Amino acid sequence: MESRHGRKKEQAESPEVLKAREEKEAVLVREYLALKDTLKALVESNKRDNDALKVTTALLRKSPDYYTIWNVRRTILKEGFLDNADDETANKIYTGELEFVQENLKLNPKSYWMWNHRRWCLESMSQPRWDRELAMVGRFLEMDARNFHGWDYRRYIIRQLDLKDNDAKDKVLDRAQSEFEFTTTKIHQNFSNYSAWHNRSTLLGKLAEDMSTKERENIVDNEFDLVKNAIYTDPEDQSAWLYELWLIGREERSISILGANVISFHPLEIVVAFDEPVKMRNPFTVSTRVEHVAIPLEGEWKATGSNSELGSVWIFQQAPGAVYGPTVEIIIFSDDVCAVRAGSKLLTAVCYELETLNQNLEDISGRLGRLMIGKNLMYDVTKRIGPISGPDDTLETQVAHRKHLVTSLTESDSLDDRVALLDREISAVRDLIELEPDCKWPIQILSTLLSELRKTVSIHSTKAKDIDDECIELQEKLITIDPLRQDRYEDRRAQLVFDRETLSIIQDSKRFPEIEYTANQPRNLDLSMRGLTYIPVSSYLLHLHTLNLDSNSITSTRFLRNLLNVRRVNLSNNLIERLEGLQHAPSLEFLTLENNMIAKWEDVVAGFVFWREGKLGRTGGHIKVLLGNNPVVVNEGGEYVLEKRWEDVGEVGIEIQWQSEEARLAEEALLASEGEGGAGTIVVEGTRRVSATAVEFDAGTSQ
Amino acid sequence: MSVLNNETTTVDTSAPELLLDQHVKYIQALDTKKNDLEYWLTEHLRVNGLYWGATALHILGHPGALDQEQIIEYLIKCQHDNGGFGGHIDHDPHILSTLSAVQVLITYDRLDAIQVDKVVDYISSLQNEDGSFSGDSWGETDTRFIFCAINCLSLLKRLDDKRLDLQKTIDYVVRCRNFDGGFGSSPGGESHAAQVYVCLGTLTILNALHYVDADQLGWWLSERQLKNGGLNGRPEKLEDVCYSWWVLSSLSMLQRTHWIDAPKLIRFILESQDTETGGIADRPGNMPDVFHTVFGIAGLSLLGYPGLVAVDPVYCMPRHVIQRIGLVDK
Repeated sequence: MESRHGRKKEQAESPEVLKAREEKEAVLVREYLALKDTLKALVESNKRDNDALKVTTALLRKSPDYYTIWNVRRTILKEGFLDNADDETANKIYTGELEFVQENLKLNPKSYWMWNHRRWCLESMSQPRWDRELAMVGRFLEMDARNFHGWDYRRYIIRQLDLKDNDAKDKVLDRAQSEFEFTTTKIHQNFSNYSAWHNRSTLLGKLAEDMSTKERENIVDNEFDLVKNAIYTDPEDQSAWLYELWLIGREERSISILGANVISFHPLEIVVAFDEPVKMRNPFTVSTRVEHVAIPLEGEWKATGSNSELGSVWIFQQAPGAVYGPTVEIIIFSDDVCAVRAGSKLLTAVCYELETLNQNLEDISGRLGRLMIGKNLMYDVTKRIGPISGPDDTLETQVAHRKHLVTSLTESDSLDDRVALLDREISAVRDLIELEPDCKWPIQILSTLLSELRKTVSIHSTKAKDIDDECIELQEKLITIDPLRQDRYEDRRAQLVFDRETLSIIQDSKRFPEIEYTANQPRNLDLSMRGLTYIPVSSYLLHLHTLNLDSNSITSTRFLRNLLNVRRVNLSNNLIERLEGLQHAPSLEFLTLENNMIAKWEDVVAGFVFWREGKLGRTGGHIKVLLGNNPVVVNEGGEYVLEKRWEDVGEVGIEIQWQSEEARLAEEALLASEGEGGAGTIVVEGTRRVSATAVEFDAGTSQ
Repeated sequence: MSVLNNETTTVDTSAPELLLDQHVKYIQALDTKKNDLEYWLTEHLRVNGLYWGATALHILGHPGALDQEQIIEYLIKCQHDNGGFGGHIDHDPHILSTLSAVQVLITYDRLDAIQVDKVVDYISSLQNEDGSFSGDSWGETDTRFIFCAINCLSLLKRLDDKRLDLQKTIDYVVRCRNFDGGFGSSPGGESHAAQVYVCLGTLTILNALHYVDADQLGWWLSERQLKNGGLNGRPEKLEDVCYSWWVLSSLSMLQRTHWIDAPKLIRFILESQDTETGGIADRPGNMPDVFHTVFGIAGLSLLGYPGLVAVDPVYCMPRHVIQRIGLVDK
């Protein structure tokens, strides 16, 4: 396939030239087909001799990617020559093959099959000359310094040599050192050689394994110098910047469990909220005491959302018939979850003790954080409820003895070293930005460095706030200088803005750098006109009763699935094209979606396709959705509308009803006078019966 | 964040038009060029070519433009006793052509024409001890072949075959991940957008996408877009239409298609069309071929270009086909 790249289209030619060319082409085709026929006859008559070999040579010269011929050639060589050959003869044959391949590789340096044939020869030889291979591939990389076949092959040779020296670690390290120097040469020839930077990163990791702390620090300093040379030469070249990003590394982010609580008693349902999506590896341990005896409580954990195996909000539902006592305990070991974001990890085991005696669910908001028991009580809990199944070491390997990352190759006992490194690099990048104010790479890297620095301070510190403000400004700058990737910067900006605006909801945990819910959760949150493109962490919004997101650029309603308590959401004037996630927002009563982009009834229905394995929280209920000024309504000449009832009995379906603007206003007024809880009287102008896949329309049917 | 997948994008009215009819004719004419040496020299790609051509035609909304019966008869002749398909009649079996054959058969809903059990035997025989897959019995290993295997078994609904160890496959793919978040052809191999596609595709099918840092890889992928709107496969390389697919589908699996400029990419693909013969080239002014034609068209479909049938970002087949066989929800 590679040979099909980069062929310039030729200009049209005169009929005479065209005819001459056609004739010439016809000869070539005849010759080629004749060769194929000859080979076919030879193979069918089981000929494994020089004649057959010669035909494969001729064919492969013309068609080097005709892989079957390479296979035929190897079979001929094996059965006709090699099987009965002594070492010396065999060696000669393989050497001949290597020469044949080499000559052809010059013409087709990207043919997989040829590189493959070469490997076969070397792996079959009794004494392969890997040193010669290394020199050969070195010459190839002179011709094309980015040929990935060449680099892959080079690494392959090194692996083969290392295998031979399995017991001689010195040799292996010397070889890595020499390869490391090869990348230095290549990088100095051309700073844009990303292939060389890449290989350098893998070699450095290997070399560092056996280095002392001091040696590592020195080599890292050298690397930062090399990067600086490159980026001052061409600050737009991404190779060195990507390498710099790797060098700086990312402090492992600690996943936080924000809180846990009971959301239903019959059946028992418990919610656990994380500050980022996680995948469950082992079900969290749930126990209860019945007459002073601790017993495991049977049940099932699921994440809210379309994928029940992944999410930031997890719900436990007791198995039918399971019995629970006055308290229920949940223990989450660090190995029970794995992060969806690379570099995140749950660092400590966490235990929650939840009361189930007072079964009043009227107001669970604000209590999610308070019932948490710190890790210090872990031991008490294990004593009380007996041994808990789970990985043995998780209770001990808590915050103590934690090493802090300084760069991706160095670490320290003190966080100060990381801060010092980041400060140094931040100041260097700032200098460059001063010289090149409109270059996007230094700005992107500065933003990343600042985000790393923020991980070292308390979330409520002035420093954190200053960093957030600066990072938001940096994204705005990036949006103007790199419009191709505007949406990426807007998503990042949305995340930063969201973090800033939701600070009151979370606080530092005793297990810093983890965070948890604050004791007093706000009921209402106004995030209107903040330029948000999405809701990054919807578990922050779990307690809210009302959420105002009017006039943002939000494109999806999927975050609603985590808003277990939310009654009213305003999403007017956004960019929503499809309704999703409603089925997991059991308290939702009123959703304003005016002035969005929903164009099809199917995209309204999508919001009501039920979670197959059962619904969460409250069953049944009323939900009202305002769809005014969406194409779906406008297209049908409707003014305003709404949507009313959904049931989960029998056939899954909902009924959408619509009403006039006038009726809507009247109802609004009524609602206002009755308060939040009022259902109002609905004057219906039309109804729709909607199943999961189809919409039936009965215009004008009044009830 | 939104998924742009198959939504209608605002079309840049100054961009060239999609030469839909010409592309259909171009693909229909591919099997008539027997006077060209090129036709014979690319024989080993015939089965792949059928997949590229048939898929492009389906996305263009002309599923009947090729003779279906003839194709099925031909494919049957390409299957070997060991279950694998060769690149052409009498060509050796290989996993690349085996996947293509299965894709074409499923697109035409004619899996009944072949022995599916044998295909499964063939593919499972190619899994290596470390979880990777070889391309054929000669043993070449590459993350491309892993995707071929997993993709094919998934299409055949046979990922539950007891002979397979899929956790090892996941572990192997994760070992191919690099410092920049991308993936290479083997552990230690440089990140390359096409290898990113096959690795993400494998992890998506095996429900293991959580091994990927979507923000980091999404960043690397979005930096593949160059000023002219085209995408390259590696840093500091030239743009090429086929990366419209490898990069875009990868971004789609990460739900970050909007991280590149869609109208500019659409324009770049359309400018790479051959206005005389139909077909799409790797970049404007070059010779078209069916490989770049399908990936250009699939890219346009993923970008929501009007008038095209929706394509599935993982399987690179019409979405309605993937829905029909129950691999995604309708």
